[in-house]
Amino acid sequence: MLSHLDRKLWRDLRRMKGQAFAVAMVMGCGLAMMIMARSLIFSLESTRREYYEANRFADVFVALKRAPNSLAARIKEIPGVATVQPGISVQVTLDLPTLDEPASGMVRSLPDFIPPELNRLFLRTGRWLSPGSRGEILVGEAFAEANHLLPGDTIAMLLNGRRQEFKIAGIVLSPELIFESRPGAALPDSRTYGSFWMPYKELATAFDLYGAFNYLSLALEPGGRERSVIAALDLLLTTYGGRGAYGRADHPSHIRVSDEIRVLETMSIGFPVVFLSVAAFMINAVLSRLLTLQREQIAIMKAFGFTNRQIVVHYLKFAFVIVAGGTALGGFGGVVLGHRLVMLYHHFFRFPELAFRADRTAFPLALLVCAGAATLGVFGAVRRAARIPPAEAMRPEPPANYRPAFVERTGIAHLLSHTFRIAVRNLERRPMQALFTITGLALATGILIVPNGFRDSVDHILDTQWDTIQRQDLSIGLVEPDSARVRHLLRHLPGVVTVEPTRATYARIGFGHQRRQLGIQGIAPNGLHNRVLNERDHLIQVPPDSLVVSEKLAQALGARVGDELRVEILDGKRPVRNVRLVGLAGDFTGLTAYMDLPSLNRLLGEGDIISGANFRVDGAHRAEFLRALKGIPKVSWVAVKDSLRENFRQTTAASIGLIQKIYLVFAIVVAFGVVYNNARISLAERARELATLRVIGFSRREVGAVLVTELVVLALIAVPFGLLLGTGFAKAIIRAVNTETVRLPLVLTASNYAFAIMVVAIASTVSALLVLRMLHHLDLVSALKAPE
Amino acid sequence: MFRVRGLTKVYGTGAAEVRALSGVDLDLYASELVVLLGPSGSGKTTLLNNLGGLDVPTAGELQYRGQDLTAIDEAALTRYRRDTVGFVFQFYNLIPSLTARENVGLITEIARDPMPAEEALDMVNLGGRLDHFPAQLSGGEQQRVAIARAIAKRPEVLLCDEPTGALDVRTGIVVLEAIQRANRELGTLTVIITHNAIMADMADRVIHLSDGRVQHLRVNEHRAPASSLNW
Repeated sequence: MLSHLDRKLWRDLRRMKGQAFAVAMVMGCGLAMMIMARSLIFSLESTRREYYEANRFADVFVALKRAPNSLAARIKEIPGVATVQPGISVQVTLDLPTLDEPASGMVRSLPDFIPPELNRLFLRTGRWLSPGSRGEILVGEAFAEANHLLPGDTIAMLLNGRRQEFKIAGIVLSPELIFESRPGAALPDSRTYGSFWMPYKELATAFDLYGAFNYLSLALEPGGRERSVIAALDLLLTTYGGRGAYGRADHPSHIRVSDEIRVLETMSIGFPVVFLSVAAFMINAVLSRLLTLQREQIAIMKAFGFTNRQIVVHYLKFAFVIVAGGTALGGFGGVVLGHRLVMLYHHFFRFPELAFRADRTAFPLALLVCAGAATLGVFGAVRRAARIPPAEAMRPEPPANYRPAFVERTGIAHLLSHTFRIAVRNLERRPMQALFTITGLALATGILIVPNGFRDSVDHILDTQWDTIQRQDLSIGLVEPDSARVRHLLRHLPGVVTVEPTRATYARIGFGHQRRQLGIQGIAPNGLHNRVLNERDHLIQVPPDSLVVSEKLAQALGARVGDELRVEILDGKRPVRNVRLVGLAGDFTGLTAYMDLPSLNRLLGEGDIISGANFRVDGAHRAEFLRALKGIPKVSWVAVKDSLRENFRQTTAASIGLIQKIYLVFAIVVAFGVVYNNARISLAERARELATLRVIGFSRREVGAVLVTELVVLALIAVPFGLLLGTGFAKAIIRAVNTETVRLPLVLTASNYAFAIMVVAIASTVSALLVLRMLHHLDLVSALKAPE
Repeated sequence: MFRVRGLTKVYGTGAAEVRALSGVDLDLYASELVVLLGPSGSGKTTLLNNLGGLDVPTAGELQYRGQDLTAIDEAALTRYRRDTVGFVFQFYNLIPSLTARENVGLITEIARDPMPAEEALDMVNLGGRLDHFPAQLSGGEQQRVAIARAIAKRPEVLLCDEPTGALDVRTGIVVLEAIQRANRELGTLTVIITHNAIMADMADRVIHLSDGRVQHLRVNEHRAPASSLNW
């Protein structure tokens, strides 16, 4: 049975249900964010770990030119190596009847008769390759889904220049390709890029690699040291065209999942802390008001013999009921949002099964954090109230002390109306209440800046990356670097307006103790197609015999413009040179180094060689051009700008759209809740004053103006802070998102700021109007009786 | 100025029904000072609230200068209070965040023909405490600010509900002097509610109220100055 004191608690809560709900909602937003983020981290981490374990994801990976299979045994002897899995990995183009342009992809080999020891595939549908079969292929799920391919369908592929038809045996997933994108691309484009697996013998034969391998993964022994294994491996593979081994931490798919987890970690701490602080203050304000109203009740309870502790506990219970409500709302919201985001992850990450797994430890933690925040918020007020001697508490509180507000003391007092003075003096008398209302509104304004900042940043990329930087219509890569003869062939394809050759090569670039493996792009001198811009979007001309690198690479290496970088080419004759860094590129994916094409060729020492080209094509002959391209055996991949751009736009739009909605809801809840709470408290505390104004002849509108003036003053202070806060949030999050794989520029537009202000203004206005309606019920007669 | 006939006010219904006024007949005239006497629960405050447009009667006739106050809407009642009525309450009801001058000045912002706040405060002998906040004033001073606030709009009717109820004798007399002076100098119809029979001596007419009805009416030949009262 409820004690009488608890019954009082319920009735008090019922009377203040609007405010209790507003507080619980704000708290719920913070918790939802925290539970969502922590659960997503848990889902991603545990699913990835289980996937890796079940499918034996390797620890170290390396691509090379070609090495005999016998070398695998020597590699296995490197101390710390447990299992070695050599194989073949090649780039191919595909001819899909549903696609105008040639699609491209990567084909990996599978052992002919036994399942692979490492990086085992997961069969989604269909069957495995029959041992010793020919003409059969396994297709990665993302590509199959995007192109509506099913087991039993056939696809045409150009293998080393020979067009061959393959029958799809099964649709599979690989732990190496949780995140699968065209090398160097920011996002997956599953329609035009896919992964495939074939028996070793068939693939090796097609590429004249039988008895050899060009890709190797290995698993370490427990306690095996990755760094020393990588060093030994690199040494061993130098003569076989090794392109530098790397561990899981540098694996392109692994990195992207880890990056996402890191962003979630930032989100799981930052936002909840701010939301919960605002909620803690709101509880404090609500409870302080209750305590003021119940001053005499507290005195009577004490006069009857209740201890201070019992009284403190009674009022803390009030706070905890709100906390429990907030936790329930937050838990529900977190789980719902988590489910939505997991669905969104299916665009980016391919797991056998990625289900939302609620992080159960997040719930007690959420409750604890909230209860802590609430206790912190109310404990002082409750203890103060409990400490007043009963006789003193039975007397009404003395009239509040006021003084002219700061703005009046600046000498403009005579310009201010009386209602304005009432408003600003009240604000100054309750600086903490004002401060937290300002904080709440600023927070609401600030969090709206973040998703719209992302949107603008993506728009900026869409503009610069594909209009200013890449002026070509499409790019191709060749199976093998080729001589100038190919240029002639390419120039005479139907519909070509301009063509510019490119040369790409693998290199290890170092400065001091830091080094990174990446591609160097040779671009045509004074080229018009693929250009290099600095972070301010100004064109950089790459002078001969010098290097421009991604700004992020310079940062990672600790190098500055003017420094000499050590360039070790990992292809061909593997020359090693020092090249001067002359500029920093503001590119947004991967790490890249740019050189002028003749200089790069000089450095490589292989003569006038190209490995790809950029084209501008006459729109009228586009279909003809793409058809011709499908028939050129030397082409290993094709990237069509429009489809990349469209894919990027769609993929980001879906995720940014959802995040915008979430933040919009949170901002509205906070703005609405904070204003509602503030206005309700003002209305309750000053019912007598406002009723007096009504009695002496002020209309409802004029009395409402007193309350509204306070809110408007608070909002006017809050909004600029909110814009600053939002700018800070956006900077912090962009910094967290910006990695060596993907970088977003910080783009903050006036319309972003204007939208944030508008949403907060509307939410606050609606909230204030709701409270002002209560002025209708103001009891004029009772206000004239003795003060409460 | 006021014509009141059969004025009835019932609060609640059924078993909880309370008849605060049951058929009050009354006429009030310009410039007179009327004291409404009666014990607690006699209906004094209800009558005053009805006269002041804070409450509407359940039945009966209530006219101010020929205008039916029972038939006008909320906005018109606000206008009536704003232009015509000055209120003084037992607990002063000042705005705590405004100084004495500003509390009075507040009215002059909305009234049609107000006197300067300083003049109104001078009339209640508070010219020297213009810039004090309510918390810095004594009870008597606060009540005089309330009177200044009520008279600053030059109201035609001044309604005072137990204006000395929370004050000691000496302070109470100072307050009554202020009310009497306003009545004399501005010619304002002044109605004072009290259960203190001694205050009846300062009135032109004394109305005894009991059980929601006018029990009897007395006309004073001579109004005693407030300063001569003692209780």
